[in-house]
Amino acid sequence: MRLIIRDDPVSASSYIANYIIERINNFNPTKEHPFVLGLPTGSSPVSVYKVLVERYKAGDVSFENVVTFNMDEYIGIPREHPQSYHTYMYDHFFSHVNVHPSNIHILNGNAIDPETECVQYEAAIKAAGGIDLFLGGIGPDGHIAFNEPGSSLLSRTRVKTLAYDTILANSRFFGNDLEKVPKMALTVGVQTILEAREVVIIITGAHKSMALKKCVEDGVNHMWTLSSLQLHPHPMIVVDEDATLELQVKTVKYFKSIEAVATSQGFEQILPSKVRTGPRPRAIAKKIGAGPEIQEPGILEPQPVTSTLLTAPANEYPVRSHTPELIPDRMGSRITAH
Amino acid sequence: MPSAIPTGNERITKFTNCRLVKGDELVEQDLWVSSETGKIVRSQEVFYGKHEVPDNIINLGGRIISPGLIDVQLNGAFGFNFSTIPDDVSSYGKVLKQVNKSLVQTGVTSYLPTLTSSRPEVYHQALPFLGPSGGPRRAEDGAESLGAHCEGPFISPTKNGIHPVEVIVPAVNGFSDLEKMYGASNIYPTVSPIDGALLPPKIRKITAAPEIAKMTQTIPELISRGIIYSMGHTEATYEEASAAVAAGGTMITHLFNAMRPLHHRNPGVFGVLGLAESLPRPYFGVIADGIHLHPTSIKIAFNAHPDGFILVTDAMHLVGLPDGVYEWNNDGERLVKTGPSLTLEGTNKIAGSSITLIECVTNFLNWSGASVPQALKAVTATPAAMLGLGGVKGSLEGDADADLVIIDEEIDESGMKNLRIDQVWKFGNSTHWFVAIEEDIGQPKMKSGELI
Repeated sequence: MRLIIRDDPVSASSYIANYIIERINNFNPTKEHPFVLGLPTGSSPVSVYKVLVERYKAGDVSFENVVTFNMDEYIGIPREHPQSYHTYMYDHFFSHVNVHPSNIHILNGNAIDPETECVQYEAAIKAAGGIDLFLGGIGPDGHIAFNEPGSSLLSRTRVKTLAYDTILANSRFFGNDLEKVPKMALTVGVQTILEAREVVIIITGAHKSMALKKCVEDGVNHMWTLSSLQLHPHPMIVVDEDATLELQVKTVKYFKSIEAVATSQGFEQILPSKVRTGPRPRAIAKKIGAGPEIQEPGILEPQPVTSTLLTAPANEYPVRSHTPELIPDRMGSRITAH
Repeated sequence: MPSAIPTGNERITKFTNCRLVKGDELVEQDLWVSSETGKIVRSQEVFYGKHEVPDNIINLGGRIISPGLIDVQLNGAFGFNFSTIPDDVSSYGKVLKQVNKSLVQTGVTSYLPTLTSSRPEVYHQALPFLGPSGGPRRAEDGAESLGAHCEGPFISPTKNGIHPVEVIVPAVNGFSDLEKMYGASNIYPTVSPIDGALLPPKIRKITAAPEIAKMTQTIPELISRGIIYSMGHTEATYEEASAAVAAGGTMITHLFNAMRPLHHRNPGVFGVLGLAESLPRPYFGVIADGIHLHPTSIKIAFNAHPDGFILVTDAMHLVGLPDGVYEWNNDGERLVKTGPSLTLEGTNKIAGSSITLIECVTNFLNWSGASVPQALKAVTATPAAMLGLGGVKGSLEGDADADLVIIDEEIDESGMKNLRIDQVWKFGNSTHWFVAIEEDIGQPKMKSGELI
């Protein structure tokens, strides 16, 4: 795991925004091979979107070939409702950049059959070739998307009942009337997020420091769903100083030193080349086809010609040679005749 | 010189980098308009629901977008007096069309053509031309009439202003007198020959003195036909004015002018702006030309009831013409134009103004300390609400008519503000560009749903 610590929320946000832009630009997305971006809502990501929009307007990045998937949406409030996540995304991001509406995926909280909606959402993610980078935020109780404490860490996109804390916290957006606050939401599951090739989380503010501690220093626990990130091969958490209040000094110093060393060596997040460029269209075509999946041994992608530190293995995990097949023989053949 | 920009085949135009007049606030937000429907697009719904993107993007460089201005009291413009019937009546309609095209350049996208007290034949001949004209929703028609405003002749002969006393009459028989005066076909809703829908009457608003004859009792009859009753040119006491409000009067014509002044023992018409007798407070028109009213009077009126405050020009047909003596009405009376002031020849009576609506807004802005959106509200959302057209005119919310003015705010060395109209849009199409605004804003132009 990478933990990036910045002095204040603004610099934490611009770190993430710049990181995303760099990833998109290096990915060099095309119409056939788009960059698939997972997106959150909430208060912390607002400033990330702000920087993304500024940089877009400055011509530093294009979202023309970016496909987006949002994490969640309330059930039962109109799409145009000021508190809907459709509105949030439109106001903070989509209306300012060139993401084409047909490339945008947000769960439909008014679907007649929410369950089908969830199944189709997972299918749409698969059809897009999986998510290249999932950006996320968390709640003070460590929930990611609407995966409230106690959610299965193997969960997928589904209907979720909101925790009482969340309903209380949200009531300020609905005229302090608990009756008006949506009680249910559609959300991607923990497993959906973990399947993204890279996960980047922003956590800012003192009120989220306990959640950060639980997710980074303690074990994997469904009561702090973000802690599942420890099982992901390429997670990155970007925080401000306030969010580190509950962390041990040792932890903070360790992650700061990692960053210092990495920067001095000229690299930041180490990503395998496969993650950097996403699956090639060839691979997607194969998956869509009905034929059986063929396991290809050995190196799939060309290796980057950089230092060994930067070089990542072609596969995310070391490829071991197969255990030789067991060839049963007759017991009698082992007995030498006398 | 303003130039009319031929409209291309763009369907949806997006304005960006702009500030929208919404309520008392300037909101930094994009605005989408459709030239096809002539309305403001609910952009979020179209974006998510239909996957549509703008065909054209205009970067306004921080300019202000206001709903098109609405003048509810305009007697004529560009040399044409609505109350003067030409010898060849058929030319009336032709000239009126020309006036509408010129008027839209001043930022006035809809208005109430106003007839001053006249003989019945003037009403019978003029009103058929002055009814609501926005039906075809064509940008090239220019400013749109929302219906006529009949100022008189049922007014007080002692508060006639420049209205000729000999044509002023009392409505002794109530509504039937109004029907005879204006013509039944102009005062009743009509049935559309095209689709059979009920059309509003030609007359939208009547100014009359409530204390004269049976006028107060007639008010409910007007309202039931969709006509707004406005009290003005009146000697009404506070009690009489209150009774008119209770009967359904919702407007006051040029507050302070042609009515009894505010007296501490009887506040007169002005008194109904106070929160008294649990009556709803009416809207009121104010002429901010610097001649009709002292700036402080305007400020007091605004503060008494900001949500009812409507700026009107009461402009005569002489706007833009050189100083001199001009023919006025069919009775041979003449007007003297000296700079911005207009008087009746041989008297010192004020004869309306020759000011544009945006100049009134600028005056009010500089005199009152009100904010730019507050000042613009007085010529957009407030008059629209008075006319029962809230959300259709005078609004930048989704589905409202896309009548827009693009305004640049200038402040000179002495701190005086000036609102300069850079563009006028009617029904989602640009009609006039006074300033070329760069369209390329360094982001990909979008054409027919494809990014290029």
